[in-house]
Amino acid sequence: MEKKSRRSFVKALGVSIGAAGVVGGSSILNSCTQVASTNSDTITLLTSSGELMKVDKSQLKPADLPSLSENQKRGREGLPGRKFVMVIDLSKCRNARQCMKACQNHHQLRPEQHHINVLQMQDAENTAPYYMPKPCQHCDNPPCTKVCPVNATFKREDGIVLIDNERCIGCRFCIAACPYSARVFNWFEPRDAEKYEGVTYNIEANVPQKKGTISKCLFSADRLRDGKLPSCVSACPNGVYWFGDQNEDAVTNGTTHETTSFSKLIKDNAAYTLMEELGTKPRVYYLPPKDRAFPFQGEIDQHHS
Amino acid sequence: MKKQIILTLVIALMSVFQGLAQEWLVPDDQKTLTNPSEYNLSNVKKGKDLYMKNCKSCHGDPGKHNGLPLVPAPPDVVSEKMQNNTDGELHYKITKGRGGMPQFEITISDDDRWRLINFIRNFDPSREQLLVDAPPKKAKLLASVNEVEKKVEIFAEVEDANGSFVTLTDAAVKISAKKAFGNLPIGEVLTNADGRAEYKIPETLIGDENGMVNIVVQLDEAYITDNVVLDAAKVGQLKPQPKLIKKEILWSTNENIQTWLLLSYLGAVGAAWAAIAYVVFQIFKIWRLGKE
Repeated sequence: MEKKSRRSFVKALGVSIGAAGVVGGSSILNSCTQVASTNSDTITLLTSSGELMKVDKSQLKPADLPSLSENQKRGREGLPGRKFVMVIDLSKCRNARQCMKACQNHHQLRPEQHHINVLQMQDAENTAPYYMPKPCQHCDNPPCTKVCPVNATFKREDGIVLIDNERCIGCRFCIAACPYSARVFNWFEPRDAEKYEGVTYNIEANVPQKKGTISKCLFSADRLRDGKLPSCVSACPNGVYWFGDQNEDAVTNGTTHETTSFSKLIKDNAAYTLMEELGTKPRVYYLPPKDRAFPFQGEIDQHHS
Repeated sequence: MKKQIILTLVIALMSVFQGLAQEWLVPDDQKTLTNPSEYNLSNVKKGKDLYMKNCKSCHGDPGKHNGLPLVPAPPDVVSEKMQNNTDGELHYKITKGRGGMPQFEITISDDDRWRLINFIRNFDPSREQLLVDAPPKKAKLLASVNEVEKKVEIFAEVEDANGSFVTLTDAAVKISAKKAFGNLPIGEVLTNADGRAEYKIPETLIGDENGMVNIVVQLDEAYITDNVVLDAAKVGQLKPQPKLIKKEILWSTNENIQTWLLLSYLGAVGAAWAAIAYVVFQIFKIWRLGKE
């Protein structure tokens, strides 16, 4: 029993060499398979080039390739100690749409599907129109997770609302419940479906997408796990997005990489959240579109009368 | 034949207009405006601050030709394309903007826009250069954290003309704290005559779960040195970790259901089944009585 479990451990995870000294600096052994174990101290491995090699057991460590179930488990737990928050500076957004492009590339979305969408807004008849990027608000009191009959969508302790496409049955109750229209449905085969064939599903990126299920903005949870900013935040050329951890009260701008105090930023600029009257407690804050150094070039229909 | 000539004419005219469309036309009355702000060191310095804040992100560092690769390309400050403009033309272009160039009419005051032009003229070959940046010097920076007194102790040296290192006095040292996605600036100190400086870490600084903070110490851009990233020290407050998801909430997933709701639901289901069982039992009883 013990032998079997060790075998499957090595088989399933693959092995990589921790210290480079053994193989002279390169990681040839990254994808080698175990042939036989000789004694407790050394282990014989087959490299990808077909050579047999004896390696000390203490040099081995499992490669970071989580299986589907492990992925789903850690995806539900979230990153410990964090509480992610986004600040969108509307006075900077000039409709470059690089955020949307980066997002659709990252999350395998068709051109008509948006995890984040740049909207043209005008609040009243005589007020200035402006551009408003709108991702999922990652509410602290999310209406969408509560209507899910199969527990596919959920709120994590680090603030992110995620969806598990492996559990989703496509009933679209959550689309109906979300007041921000943040969710999209895969009506058709997802974009580049053949390219993603056989890829292990990653709950933190919703990739590969599944036809007949829901997808939504995830704050690029897979990138956050690697310590990177979300795709949209990094892609913005105009310094619109600030992103960070509310617990440590710091947000970083994706364009300038400047870091500032989150509470000071939202206080100094009189930040607001969308539809706060619904009690959803969004985790996305907006800074008002004032002092804009560019003209609004979109078209706004006059619906105000 | 006549048609052909007309066609060529039309095409030629169109290409001329295309060229004109790319040309940035400035109204004649704006072109001849003169700069009301005096070309002196203080105005150029203010202009530099404005340039660093508003223009550098696209036009790049003066003289380095490292502007963003946009279409049309934002010219470098020292380039002929920029310097061939009259003061009035520069003023109009900064004020009104076009395409990728923002209109600074609202965000920068008129006086400051003229100061910005003074800074641009600092790089005009036909004028005396007022603001000359010294080439960056090599420097050494040492720092340590005093956990007990919650202080950062800094010592800086700079390479002098002979290539030996001497103490660096009156240099601004920036102190920041490492956060999840970047370094948060927390303060700045000047080195004293001995090249030393002390920075008192503010009480409000938030660290990680155990109050540990990675302090980063750096000199300004006039010196070439590596930033000092200090080992995590216990100088910050404990990071607050409020629970986001309450253990029991109404109308949530199975894991977070409220106990009273679960019990009353199960009770109701149980009662319904018990009622059905009672009825069936009674019918069975009647059937047995009928048999006797």
